[in-house]
Amino acid sequence: MDLKQPIVWVHEESLGSTNPALEDYPEAPALFVFDQDWIDSKHISRKRLGFLYECCLDLPVTIRKGNVVAEVLAFANRYGADGVISSGAVEPRLQRHGAAINRDCPLWILDGEPFVELPRAPRLGRFSRYWREAEPVVWESYKASG
Amino acid sequence: MLEQEFPGASGAISPIRGGRQAAEQQIRKIDGKRYARSRDHLNGAVTGLSPYIRHGVLTLAEVRDAVFQSINNRDDGSKLINELGWRDFWQRMWQELGDHIDDDQEVFKTGHSASSYSRELPDDIRDGCTGLACMDGFREELVSTGWLHNHARMWMAAWLVHWRHVHWKAGADWFLEHLLDGDPASNHLSWQWIASTFSHKPYFFNRDNLERYSGGNFCKSCSSANHCPFDASYEQLETKLFAQRVPIRDVPARRQGHRSKSTARPNPSTQRF
Repeated sequence: MDLKQPIVWVHEESLGSTNPALEDYPEAPALFVFDQDWIDSKHISRKRLGFLYECCLDLPVTIRKGNVVAEVLAFANRYGADGVISSGAVEPRLQRHGAAINRDCPLWILDGEPFVELPRAPRLGRFSRYWREAEPVVWESYKASG
Repeated sequence: MLEQEFPGASGAISPIRGGRQAAEQQIRKIDGKRYARSRDHLNGAVTGLSPYIRHGVLTLAEVRDAVFQSINNRDDGSKLINELGWRDFWQRMWQELGDHIDDDQEVFKTGHSASSYSRELPDDIRDGCTGLACMDGFREELVSTGWLHNHARMWMAAWLVHWRHVHWKAGADWFLEHLLDGDPASNHLSWQWIASTFSHKPYFFNRDNLERYSGGNFCKSCSSANHCPFDASYEQLETKLFAQRVPIRDVPARRQGHRSKSTARPNPSTQRF
């Protein structure tokens, strides 16, 4: 079942026009929240905040600051949204935010194009192990594009 | 606006602009061949794309395709594609480790215990008044622009951990305050690679190495040039810095070229922050 009236939550790992949530739901109101707790606890400098802000200016997003979960839910509420669309995040902090949002409002995560798609999860631990498996697959698309 | 909204945040805005347009300007300059030849040099043809990749302004897939378009054969792009692979690897590691990325992944191979390293960043480093022109210069660039060349990050991290005996986490957290591409995956695990808690041996360097890849610019004006803590052979530094012998001759070089004649240590600049 598709969401009828979702909002989009844009986070720090996907501040580009290729954000799959923005691409797939161009009409949905979108929000970015400066995470005040993160900024305070990690002493994030103004340079970093300025960079994030400039990235946001290129996107069709409303910008807020504060508690990310509360802001996203309030934004969803304001638009009478039946769900939140976002993009996959690696950072545990963002995953926790997503889980908390999902407790109150359905959250759909969309994934963008991966760097390399491997048939099975590669062995990590050391780069060389991973790269032995990944490198040939990455270069397949060079042959394809050439 | 940012000053009003974030009165607690320190410093000024970076000259490096955010956003898609700035990212596209940068990606158009990609030259895989020149990158491979010169990337270890501070003035080499590095891409400067890391802040845009970190925040998803550009995806790794887009950059991969841009590299493919910039080359005539696979050899020309293999180094740069390899570095994109590092980024993907770090992200996969983070996905697997979660919050444990903050922990030592392995024991230190320096002969020193984890608890012997200071958990505080010394004030002279934070303030950029160490008297070492190179390190104060790197600190200035880090704090004013939010970006540092990978080699500078490695030198600074090695100096902090091995010469100043500061725990990698204190340095890594400080970097994240400032780096526009600040990402615990690449940053913390690279610091751990330097420290030896995510590698088989610690990374260190000497003056010869730093002078070569920085064009000697720092040493010319350094007030400590005559008593430089890096001015020694790798063998001497190894004895001075580590409590146990670190085998530096038994690891095959992972890349060719640019190797010092004075040491058998492989050029270590294979790690990406």
